[in-house]
Amino acid sequence: MVKISVLQHDPSSHTATRPGDPTPVSRNLNPLMHPFSRARERTRALNAAKMDRMFAIPFVGALEGHVDAVEVLAKQGDSISTVASGSWDGGVIVHNLSQRTHIVRLPLAHKGKVTGLCFAGDSRLLSCGVDRNVKLWNIGSDEPLNVFPGKHALNSIDHQRSSAMFATASTLVQVWDETKSAPISNLTFPTSTETISSVRFNLSESSILASVGSDRTFTLYDIRTGKAERRVVMQMRANALSWSPTFPTNILLASEDHNLYTFDIRRLDAPSLIYKGHVAAVVSCDWSPTGTEFVSGGWDRTVRIWQTGQGHSPEVYHTKRMQRVTSTLFTTDARFVLSGSDDGNVRIWKGKASERLGIVTARERAAIEYRNSLVDRWKMDKEVGKVARTRHLPKPVYTANKLKNTMLESRRVKEERRRKHTRAGESKPKPERKKVVLVEQS
Amino acid sequence: MDALIAKADAAQPLSRKRKRTQPVNAKAGLSQTPDKTSASIAKNTSLPKSLRSRNNEKVEAPQYRHIANPKLRRSLVKTSTHIAQSQALLSDAVDLLPSDETGFVQAEDTMERTWRLSQADIVKEAGGEAARGRLEMKLDGGPYKVRYTKNGRHMAIAGRTGHVASFDTLTGAVHSELQLGETCSDVVFLQDHSFYAVAQQKYVFIYDRDGVEIHKLKAHVSPTRLEFLPYHWLLASVGTGGYLKYQDTSTGQLVAEHRTALGACSVLTQNPQNAVLYLGHQNGCVTLWTPNLPHPAVKVLAHLGPVSSISVDPSESGRYMATAGKDGSVKVWDCRNWKGAVREWNLRSGGKGDAEVEWSQKGVLAVGSGGSVNMYTSPSIKTPHHSLSHPPLYLTHPLPSASHRPITSLRFAPFQDILTIGHARGTSGILVPGAGEGGMDSGEGLDLYEGVKGRREREVRGLLDKIQPDLITLDSELVGSLAAPSKLTIGTTGGSGSSRATEIPFSRLPRAERLRVSGKADLTEEVYSDAGSANENDGKKTTEEREKKKMRGKGKSLKRYLRKQRKNVIDPTAVAIRSKIEKQKSERKAEIRKAKYGDEPQEKSSALDRFKRTSKE
Repeated sequence: MVKISVLQHDPSSHTATRPGDPTPVSRNLNPLMHPFSRARERTRALNAAKMDRMFAIPFVGALEGHVDAVEVLAKQGDSISTVASGSWDGGVIVHNLSQRTHIVRLPLAHKGKVTGLCFAGDSRLLSCGVDRNVKLWNIGSDEPLNVFPGKHALNSIDHQRSSAMFATASTLVQVWDETKSAPISNLTFPTSTETISSVRFNLSESSILASVGSDRTFTLYDIRTGKAERRVVMQMRANALSWSPTFPTNILLASEDHNLYTFDIRRLDAPSLIYKGHVAAVVSCDWSPTGTEFVSGGWDRTVRIWQTGQGHSPEVYHTKRMQRVTSTLFTTDARFVLSGSDDGNVRIWKGKASERLGIVTARERAAIEYRNSLVDRWKMDKEVGKVARTRHLPKPVYTANKLKNTMLESRRVKEERRRKHTRAGESKPKPERKKVVLVEQS
Repeated sequence: MDALIAKADAAQPLSRKRKRTQPVNAKAGLSQTPDKTSASIAKNTSLPKSLRSRNNEKVEAPQYRHIANPKLRRSLVKTSTHIAQSQALLSDAVDLLPSDETGFVQAEDTMERTWRLSQADIVKEAGGEAARGRLEMKLDGGPYKVRYTKNGRHMAIAGRTGHVASFDTLTGAVHSELQLGETCSDVVFLQDHSFYAVAQQKYVFIYDRDGVEIHKLKAHVSPTRLEFLPYHWLLASVGTGGYLKYQDTSTGQLVAEHRTALGACSVLTQNPQNAVLYLGHQNGCVTLWTPNLPHPAVKVLAHLGPVSSISVDPSESGRYMATAGKDGSVKVWDCRNWKGAVREWNLRSGGKGDAEVEWSQKGVLAVGSGGSVNMYTSPSIKTPHHSLSHPPLYLTHPLPSASHRPITSLRFAPFQDILTIGHARGTSGILVPGAGEGGMDSGEGLDLYEGVKGRREREVRGLLDKIQPDLITLDSELVGSLAAPSKLTIGTTGGSGSSRATEIPFSRLPRAERLRVSGKADLTEEVYSDAGSANENDGKKTTEEREKKKMRGKGKSLKRYLRKQRKNVIDPTAVAIRSKIEKQKSERKAEIRKAKYGDEPQEKSSALDRFKRTSKE
């Protein structure tokens, strides 16, 4: 007797029992039932990368109000929406980001350009300008609470977070107290004769100050000892600096040589990383409050957003009408980026170009996460990687970039040839990071 | 300043961070046995991944402690953890999934022959729903071609005289029935039953479910066979002109057009695992085609007469191919190497008329020739066999009468134990236990009971996931695998003027090469291992290399290396190798001496010894 069994399916286990019920799902995990799974996943990844680029509309809006170029931007430490901007026309405006309105307009805050701006506590604002004055404003009133007269044109100002002290930069760094009309101390490196362009307090150890100056220097001061502790002379001058909010010893410098440098102040002989991407001088930089990324703006009319630890291929933002970017800022919720430029506008950008604003449902978020992980998994694929990596650049920036690459390449080739024709072992290639710092003084 | 630095130093870098001493033991009792099922369900029903806690996903994954680069290590650990987690979930899910049962015929003792079973016996045993598969359709349209949809629910038939019909095999509802009035040689469903293409006398036509003509594909002239590649959305046809044409049914473009140069062709089949098309020609050749190659990827002389039918085994990822020829033989080929057929046997009908072959999902081979269809099961037909004897028969089914001849089409119904035979008097469905795959997959659309919504969604997803025709290759796993090593030659900057043109600047060299050039690499070992490997695969060297490395007399690879170095250049590598050779030589000498004189070195003391330089060391 032969046993026979013929395949039968039970329809009730494959169809919905009542109308409206979800259809039962059956799965067969045999890979033969899923041919081309890799090729299909790649197609999906390619689509995901393309969708990511399609949704990348980073520009959110512009804050108008200034007549001349915006020189400086400042954020309030404990507010998401309050931001102040100062301009070449001497005006200062405090903006509300969420409503895009002006909280305060001070059209004639200074005579000449406003060079420095910072919040002092909850409702006060400090500003300085080339008219040699520091003014303390109460947000809401048109008249300054206090005016601190200085001797030189001021370039930068920063307020200590926890006390009433603030520092200004001119030919030297001066530390002031809000309650006293004269500076309480003057800080300068003994042999320096330079113009300090920017000064910032360390965010965790608030007695430490850092400044960058026109003499290609980066100087660290301690206001308790009242003197300059260390100084580093670099190949090219730095224009701006920013302390890391999460790693107190890390500092970011925006340099004239198109690069950004992060330094660990414990080792000042070389930067910890070089961020290459700008094609003109970098003028401003600011960390995201998370410390995982930072924004920079430069003379090449672009805003770039960098991931900490990845020294290349930043996110690039640009518009037709944005001129040279003089100031950039990450908002305190780490979602938006502000840029102030020569054309007198303050622009709001998304921190992640393809992020969706507004409410995202759980299902949508899961889909977005799936797409992101697909792109991440297939980023080594030629096409997917190309779509994910490529950013459209304005033609001047593109050509400048090409020219820069050509020059660097020829320089490198020349160096190669020179070394090849010198006696073996006489000259060794110098790592890029070791070239930055000329001398470290203390 | 010092305070800041001291604080920062206290917080050590992540790599050197001490492990936190968590109260693991206290927690272990709770998290030891997380409910696997609820965890797996919770993940897919509630929160997206980023918002979920990761406590209940503890799996064993390699930690890669030997990898120094923390970034790389982290990503490796992350990947392997993810893989381990999904494997754990998979093993968990396998228990929940319905086991894919299959049909079978089991003989109780060895003397029983399964092929003695007639269809009547099987139907009687099967009973109920399964017995409905035994279906005879008497039709007058001449020899019929049969085709199923991917999920096996719908069937289309095309008679030689122009009778075309499509219908639902489960409900028996006829979708459309056409009398085209001209020769129809093949029919194929497109993505699902809502469209089907018919190879008519002059061109290929596409009809929708209701039988309305949608397209006339003028590019496909006098077609004989059709195939549809579902994941690439390509409709392929071959005709009497011997041209193989691919048309993209989603964009309408003619993707590729290959001239086979082997005359009229009437055998076309696809390998469902890699979407390669197999053509059988009049001169006995079987050729394999992809859209991106203008010539066949593989060309085999399979038969000594015209090839009449080809089929690719879907049960073993397209590894085996069966061909039948007009020379009256059936051959099973291993497609990994084409060194002759694995097994071949001669048909009883002796090659009169066309023989048809077809593999089922589970690897049952049906061979239809003359007036009967014979079924063979897998292990016997795939094991190499020298004689031309028939493999053991599994089942056989004779056609009712001689007027049913010839058999023109054999198709197994996917996910069912049904073989449908197209012949001169219509079609007949027979039951073949063990032919169909039991487990269906609704995610892929391989579901007999797929609803309208599911079908629509699948169609959209299928279009989004459409694979580009360029990606069709013999190896379907090529996509996403590692790239082949580049052919860029690494010119060493040794200074020999010969390779100037292809020389690569120092900064473009790979790291190992850079180290070598700058003299920092541990070269002695590398050269040594190179020499060893050279000795091992001496036989595989090309003639050129052998010529280059030919030596006269006694020689070793290290010495050869030295000979190639210029004597006046003080190269750190060469110096190291010279000292190494010296050392080996002295060691060898010492060994010989030891063998000769025992442990104690008993050199002959000479009067001249006193003049020996002692400071040679």
